[in-house]
Amino acid sequence: MAEETIYEGMKRRGFSRREFLNTCSVIAASLGLSQLPFVNGQTFAQDSTSQKAVTDLVAATLKSKPKLPVIWIEIQSCTGCSEALTRSHSPSLKDLVLNHISVEYHETLSAAAGFQLEENKQKIMKEYNGKYVLVIEGSIPLADDGIYCVIGGRTSVDILKEAAAGAAAVISTGNCAAFGGIPHANPNPTDAVGVWKIITDKPVLNIPGCPAIPEVFTATLVHFLIFGALPELDSLNRPKAFYGNTIHDRCYRRPFYEAGKFALSFDDEAAQKGHCLYKLGCKGPITYNSCAVMKWDGGLSFPIQSGHPCLGCSEPNFWDGGGFYQGLSAPIEKPELVAVGAVAAAGAAVGLGMAMANNLKKKHLHKEQE
Amino acid sequence: MRTNDLLNTFVEETGAWVASQLEACTRCGICAESCHFYQATGKPEYSPVYKMDILRRGYEQRFTIGGKLKLAVGIDKKITDEDLDQYKELLYEACTVCNKCAMACPMGIQIGPILHNIRTGLSAAKAVPQDLLDSTKKQIEVGSPLGVTDEAWESRIEWIADDFEVEIPIDKKGADTLVVFTSIELMKFPTNIAAIAKILNAAGENWTISSKGREVVNFGFFEGDMNHTRLFMQRVFDGVIELGVKRLVISECGHAYDAFRWTAKNIMKVPDGLEITHIVAVIDNLIKSKKIKVKENSFDDGTLTFHDACKIQRRGSHIQEPRDILKILAPNSFKEMSPSREQSQCCGGGGGVISIKEADENRFAVFGLKVKQLNDLNAKSVAMTCSNCRLQFVDGAAHYNLDVKVRSISEMVADSLVEN
Amino acid sequence: MDWNAILEFARGPLFKVALLVFIGGMFYRLVRVISLGWSKDKVDSKGSKVKGVLISYMKGFFILPFFPWVKNTFTKNPITFLAGGIFHLGLFLIIFLGTPHMLVWKSLIGIGWYTLPLPIVDWFAAVTIVSMIILLINRFVNPVLKLISGPAEKFNWLVVFIPMVTGYMMTHHLFFRYEALFSFHMLSVDFLLIWIPFSRISHFMFYFFSKSIHGAQFGKRAVTP
Repeated sequence: MAEETIYEGMKRRGFSRREFLNTCSVIAASLGLSQLPFVNGQTFAQDSTSQKAVTDLVAATLKSKPKLPVIWIEIQSCTGCSEALTRSHSPSLKDLVLNHISVEYHETLSAAAGFQLEENKQKIMKEYNGKYVLVIEGSIPLADDGIYCVIGGRTSVDILKEAAAGAAAVISTGNCAAFGGIPHANPNPTDAVGVWKIITDKPVLNIPGCPAIPEVFTATLVHFLIFGALPELDSLNRPKAFYGNTIHDRCYRRPFYEAGKFALSFDDEAAQKGHCLYKLGCKGPITYNSCAVMKWDGGLSFPIQSGHPCLGCSEPNFWDGGGFYQGLSAPIEKPELVAVGAVAAAGAAVGLGMAMANNLKKKHLHKEQE
Repeated sequence: MRTNDLLNTFVEETGAWVASQLEACTRCGICAESCHFYQATGKPEYSPVYKMDILRRGYEQRFTIGGKLKLAVGIDKKITDEDLDQYKELLYEACTVCNKCAMACPMGIQIGPILHNIRTGLSAAKAVPQDLLDSTKKQIEVGSPLGVTDEAWESRIEWIADDFEVEIPIDKKGADTLVVFTSIELMKFPTNIAAIAKILNAAGENWTISSKGREVVNFGFFEGDMNHTRLFMQRVFDGVIELGVKRLVISECGHAYDAFRWTAKNIMKVPDGLEITHIVAVIDNLIKSKKIKVKENSFDDGTLTFHDACKIQRRGSHIQEPRDILKILAPNSFKEMSPSREQSQCCGGGGGVISIKEADENRFAVFGLKVKQLNDLNAKSVAMTCSNCRLQFVDGAAHYNLDVKVRSISEMVADSLVEN
Repeated sequence: MDWNAILEFARGPLFKVALLVFIGGMFYRLVRVISLGWSKDKVDSKGSKVKGVLISYMKGFFILPFFPWVKNTFTKNPITFLAGGIFHLGLFLIIFLGTPHMLVWKSLIGIGWYTLPLPIVDWFAAVTIVSMIILLINRFVNPVLKLISGPAEKFNWLVVFIPMVTGYMMTHHLFFRYEALFSFHMLSVDFLLIWIPFSRISHFMFYFFSKSIHGAQFGKRAVTP
């Protein structure tokens, strides 16, 4: 039996044609495309970047493709990214994504557990070999031969490599899977790393954030569904559509930064007026993410709007970036007082030595004169 | 080797005082704008920062790692005999050590005293203009840079006392004040000596001059040679000790005041409890304490201005005294030059420059700036408290055909004395 | 180029090392000079040396920057005086009253303070950059400066100019990505820190010696410095 296409599945569940086309335009908008890639040799009307063209493409794809199988593996993770995804407040987006992907394996969401679930995973990987999308959540510990994360008797490194081998695409969701996240922070006792440090034979797409913005994740997944390829990535393998600008560039409090109006402490008068949080340690200027645009909780708010400076959670090493409440301009590493004292003493000693040598020269000449 | 003598002297005399200031120089070049030699001739080598450069190089090349590295790499060059010849001209023929540069420097570097230190090095390396060396030799051997012998001196003093009908006590034991004159006054401006004698006598001062310490000019100071400097000052101090005076008064001479009042104690033994002062301060004090009386307005005869001598006013402190005197003598005619007081412009004749024939072109060029100052005021006469300046003004006025009377404060006061 | 990694390095271990080199170097310079020996001044003072020092500093900080014509030599070369003065004024404003730099001080010494609004500091930065360019041109045009300026003077200019310009570019997000600009700025600042003790840029430390000596010398003679 040929697999049911997405459109057919939706029709079966009672979506009308109008609702279907609505869905397609919403997906088209969420993809954040500025340039339409060619797909399956199809060409479109001249007006290729128009919304209508994208919507048409989406519709055509959904009509012809089956659901996308997804295997979701958690390693050293807090499950925050999964939680965020399930709490996504844009029902149409969440629903339609869950209508269009089939989450074949997810430890947290599955009813089953243990070896039963593992067996199922092996079956899925064989059946959809080369077709499934592998999503990783959580960092991978390398220390002591990977002993710090063992699932069902196998190290996570092993599990990851096996799963990645047959995947059509590997997506790291959350800062942990992308760059190591909190386990990677100093002193990194488990030698935690991001997925792309281990899987080097195929491109790994990073959707960092702590957690990743759910709508960013879903849009990226749908992009893969529609176009069968990863979207345009930046140098950290993050989709440019969502990680192309910094929080600072899109922050609604930017005029206060320019005008020099800063909150000096939490909940002080300036903070209550909504002034810039740069002096409280906001890392907005170096943080690439869509928080300031898409926001969280269905566009309800984001950290700065709620009065807390940006942590920079979509950047590598944000835990070691000098401190959440230390200004962005301040140095990450400072010499300890002992080192300062030692170096000052050393400098003074060398200076004294040179001066003494010079004084000897003087005394010697003085004696000669007399 | 001569450059070694130079460098060794630099090493010897460079302590933290000099070194910290050498390190402070940022090569901004503002000092040049205050140097009258650069202003008058436009030659960039005459800028104070360039004049200092030889010491800076010597210091860095001998004392610092950075200097030695720069030498090795070729950024800086070794000091050569050619440098000595060049600096001979720069330091002796194009500098009067007036210290105006220290006032212009944003870092406040005391360039004047440092240049004096360089002269010490140059004299050790025998890089001194011959004219100056000749004058120094005369002072060593005969007792005066103009070659005035003991006999000539004594007969000249007698002639002055006689001709100007004024008493000049010589070697008076029990006097409390010793006045020492300059050869310039003796030979060129004897009226000055007569004037000072007249004033001191009118005030009833218990004063004397000394045959041992008869020359206040110090060519060793110009040369920079510390031994000669000490030798010439010792002669005066010997006179002080012999006569048992409590106060030493420097006559109208600038560098002598710098040497005696502001340098002597740091380089030699000065007789205990000796007060050292300048004649202008003495005269001002006599007027203020009513020991003498002067006729007011006695010099209200056309615009009169005052020339601040570098070593007596800016470097000596006696800025207000002559002005207080002139306030009485010429209240309506007195006008200040611009600039004046501690920022005043040097006449161009000090520091030994006037004694060097090769420097004549320079010193007259500098005097041109002074001429402009006088002309801007339309001054008819100019008063001063230094006879070296006076000689430069007389020479300069002749050179520029300037119709300005050159006066000394002492003479002006003496001429206005009134019976008490 | 992985600008994030370069930035982390420039703000992290490189900064730490640069600051240590700066501190050690300055102590070395200071001790090497002051240990050359100070001779006691035996000459009697006429006025007060302390008063002279105080007046010297007061004049330098409060009068000369705002009434430069008090020094009569000002009119003869206003360019160096004005450009140099404006450069220093801008420099102090940026380093001490600019928000990002205040945060650096805060992280090093533990206290922060109120800062000027960005547009004001920014305007001064632009003026400062222009002053620096004028000063460089002056070095090639003024006859005295041509004589006394060597490779050291020009290199020192560059070492100070690059942090200025990269800082300005950073503020305005000019031409490159922010992390790249931040990296340029931090790398150039780290180099500046290392270079200061071994060059004439350390004059800010010796300023206190020369200015105090100046004040004392004039105060001793009871003449206004």
